[in-house]
Amino acid sequence: MKRTRKAKASMGQMRVIEAIMASLIVVAALSFLYVFAAAPSSQTYESGELEKIGHNVLHDIDEQGLLTRYVYNSEWANITAALIVSVPNDVYFNLTIYDVNGNSIGHPLIQYGSSDVFAKSKAVASVTYIISGYQTVYDPRILVLKLVRE
Amino acid sequence: MRTFRDRKGQFIIIAALFLSIMIVSASTIMYSTVTYFRHERWEEYLTIVDSIKTGSSKVMEVSLASYTQTNNSMVLRDNLNQWIRDVRKAYPGFGIDLNYTLESGVRSAYGVSLNYSLGLARVWKQPVSCSAANVTFTINLASVGLTGYSFSAHAFLRANMRDAVWYSRSGKQYVLIYLSVDKDGSVPVINLLKGNFAEVKLNGVPQSFLFKRYYSSTYSSYVYELRVNSVTSMPSSVEVSLADTRGIKIVSTSTIVRQDTS
Repeated sequence: MKRTRKAKASMGQMRVIEAIMASLIVVAALSFLYVFAAAPSSQTYESGELEKIGHNVLHDIDEQGLLTRYVYNSEWANITAALIVSVPNDVYFNLTIYDVNGNSIGHPLIQYGSSDVFAKSKAVASVTYIISGYQTVYDPRILVLKLVRE
Repeated sequence: MRTFRDRKGQFIIIAALFLSIMIVSASTIMYSTVTYFRHERWEEYLTIVDSIKTGSSKVMEVSLASYTQTNNSMVLRDNLNQWIRDVRKAYPGFGIDLNYTLESGVRSAYGVSLNYSLGLARVWKQPVSCSAANVTFTINLASVGLTGYSFSAHAFLRANMRDAVWYSRSGKQYVLIYLSVDKDGSVPVINLLKGNFAEVKLNGVPQSFLFKRYYSSTYSSYVYELRVNSVTSMPSSVEVSLADTRGIKIVSTSTIVRQDTS
């Protein structure tokens, strides 16, 4: 009777050890996955995210009918302000506007952030957006928005 | 008996190992599936398609505005042909092929029957007048093997002259005109200013007018109230020309009713 009790106690300890080992295996698997599945931070992904932001911002301003007004009425201060309030705080931009043949239309600098930010940044995203005209006049403009994150 | 018990004990570890393998395998597949789109840069292509869609709709608005102000019925076709060339220039290397079909014949748009010609239609000089454009586009993107992506774009503006009344009360005679304006999909246009109303004519004669805009519970709609003062005799008709912020023009007419009050 005493012997059986001792054997059962020993078996109970083994169960605890096995349970701990099994838990460790599962935790190790989950830890491995956590490290493996973490979103990699690379220039490609960063640039993709910035492109998405840039396109969404231009699209939103265009949908409100403001983008064409600003561009065709040369409201450069307004377009700069609209972009500043639309992009996230840590994102800087530079906007250049071309005619359909790729010639710059000669507007003042439309930029937020110093030139150093653009020079030092590892990932620069470039978004091309085309607008067709304003009121009754068909006269396309190509907007190239460059974005960097500080 | 003891051997059996030992084997039973090891089963937990084996089960845990299997479970771990399953978790890792399933998660790897899920991760690959989720990140697949990032590797393939779908976002870039989607933004291009989105830009082309938005731009094409704007070309229609510009063309409709031009058509309603100059009566050039070829303007939409000409602008779209140019737009196709310009899109290719703006996005070189993507293999963009944009095609269009202009609507023609009688079609219904937002409850109004319109006779389209070269994608353009207008019904003017009615109490309910409208200007519209309707085109179906197809985009092919050779660089990603996207073919036959089709979408329909339309521009629409409607003015509804709710009432035009000549009042003669307390020695004052004037005309009040109540108009509501809506655009694509019956969206009320509430941002028009006096400058958007180019002309108000009574019996064909241009008049100066006062302008108000507000929500009217009578018409259950946002209305523009135009008041022409000092109209000593009752005119028979009123004509209002207006253009919205996109430049799309409408001319609406109605007969005037008389209301005498003491």
